[in-house]
Amino acid sequence: MTAEHRLAWWPRREGGLASDYVGQGSQFYGLYARELIKTFRNPWVLVITLVQPFMWLAFFGSSFATVSTSALDSLLHAPPGTGYLQFLLPGVLSTSMLSIGMFGSMSTIQDKRFGFMKRVLLTPTGRSTVYLSKALGSATRGMVQIPVMICAAYVFGVRFEGTPLMWAGWLLGLILLGFGFSAFFLAVTASSTDWQTPGVLSNFITMPLMFASGALFPAQNYPTWMQAIARVNPVGFSALLGRGILVSGTANWAYLGYLGIFAAIMVGVGTLVASRYLKVE
Amino acid sequence: MSESAIVAHGLTKRYGELTAVDHVEMDVARGGVFGLLGPNGAGKTTIIKLLTGLSDPTAGEATVAGFDVRRQPMHVKQNIGWVAAEVILDDDLSGWENLWLQAKLQRLSGWKERAEQLLAYFELTDRRTDRVGAYSTGMRKKMEIALALLHQPKVIFMDEPTIGLDPNVRRMLWKLIRGVNQEFGVTVLLTSHYIEEADALCDHVAIIDHGKFVATGTPAELKSRIRNDFLDIETSAPVSESQLRALPGVLEARSQGKGWILKVGSAEETLPALFAALPEHTIQRVNIEKPSLESVFIDITGKRIDQAGGDVQDFRKFYLNVRRARQ
Repeated sequence: MTAEHRLAWWPRREGGLASDYVGQGSQFYGLYARELIKTFRNPWVLVITLVQPFMWLAFFGSSFATVSTSALDSLLHAPPGTGYLQFLLPGVLSTSMLSIGMFGSMSTIQDKRFGFMKRVLLTPTGRSTVYLSKALGSATRGMVQIPVMICAAYVFGVRFEGTPLMWAGWLLGLILLGFGFSAFFLAVTASSTDWQTPGVLSNFITMPLMFASGALFPAQNYPTWMQAIARVNPVGFSALLGRGILVSGTANWAYLGYLGIFAAIMVGVGTLVASRYLKVE
Repeated sequence: MSESAIVAHGLTKRYGELTAVDHVEMDVARGGVFGLLGPNGAGKTTIIKLLTGLSDPTAGEATVAGFDVRRQPMHVKQNIGWVAAEVILDDDLSGWENLWLQAKLQRLSGWKERAEQLLAYFELTDRRTDRVGAYSTGMRKKMEIALALLHQPKVIFMDEPTIGLDPNVRRMLWKLIRGVNQEFGVTVLLTSHYIEEADALCDHVAIIDHGKFVATGTPAELKSRIRNDFLDIETSAPVSESQLRALPGVLEARSQGKGWILKVGSAEETLPALFAALPEHTIQRVNIEKPSLESVFIDITGKRIDQAGGDVQDFRKFYLNVRRARQ
């Protein structure tokens, strides 16, 4: 990439000149399908994706097993008889969306290192098309966990509230969260070719966003500075939306709106960044 | 649309201080095989990047298949195929799935019949549903060429197509590249640092060194420019230039590494005198270069192709590492 290319505010390449425009639908479909085929063809990716949330519930969810329900309810600021698993499930699904972007960005770096990115970019495929297919691909991969997790919770004896419409809204919120974080990861690592970058980035953002979110413990127990982070943390929006629906059958749709804004900003900014900085090799 | 497959004027690429491609002029006729011959690091791969729209030129312009590489890179990419030095395929997908993906990326409809023909042509039909990761090197190379041909491109770029391959596979590939060029009527631009490859395959050759075209022409034209032989000698003890220049028939003497390259009227005339003039066992190795593309390169740059630029072995190692990392 040349210096003037870097300094330009707007991507010069894609759609920059009407006479060079080539539609991107077919390429997006091909690349997105490739992501899915590769995921479902690798049994280990599936096994880990499925087992990991189950482990969360089994180990983390059991860590309050001997605490009396009333003591737990007052600690969680939850209605009487909630129990930790019911409280935890929406939070765990939300935090697991934090790490799915890591796999998308690792597979992108692999494509760069093996030259596959070059093969793609030597066809009439825009950098932003590659980016969007990767982001949606890893978000889709993350969705696989949701039904598994809910079934697992049923096995553990948890029962949920909420209407089908509320559930649909909650799932949409999770999809937006996953899409937003995948978009974020891929944009930050767009110019990277180092295997380690996604892992480092994941470690860096996971802890603060996971704990300062209200996903695992109620934010009411936090000090004020952590509550301040929780108020703008999309993981928290998703966890609180889900918890409202699953625990008390009430949906605060404002959270869904915030998640929509979060995803739109991440995908929008990410597409711009990737269309200029996505490295070829 | 112009009659030429590739035209470049003043094509230049600088990376900071380094000028990788320096005012290159090209005019490649349709339907031929054009070779960029030069040592590693001469700028061959950069020229391919510029011509395929992967990288923007610092100065100059180029058209490929009639489209401007700077203003219409997407249209250029619809009309070119690409074969990598290290064979790049998606190893997790089958041969047929790789073709399917290529068809999607090139926005093709009704591609299946052509894909079947290509599989048949490259004798891959019965392996089409196998993962390409399980293919042999020769089959992978064929698969890659099939991908490059699927969308009926006007120009195919081949970057060091036979690097790191064993001689049998290399000869098979030469035949294939020739065949592809003739049967599919596609223009081929290939880079190589193998003299015999350029000689065997190319209608036209451009010899490139330090980003500049130092000579262009058909292999026969280039060779006819040379009426001298070259002696490439390696000695165990230092030998002085004046001593060498005094020998009969020596026109020039240039030192290179541990030895010398002598430009001589005829090797047969100089050799006996050379051995007579130096103490016994001083000469450890002698290469005689009769007029060839190699001697053209030596004549212009004063170096052998495989000694100019980087170490050839590095590429081979790189290729092996890529293969290993995939497994």
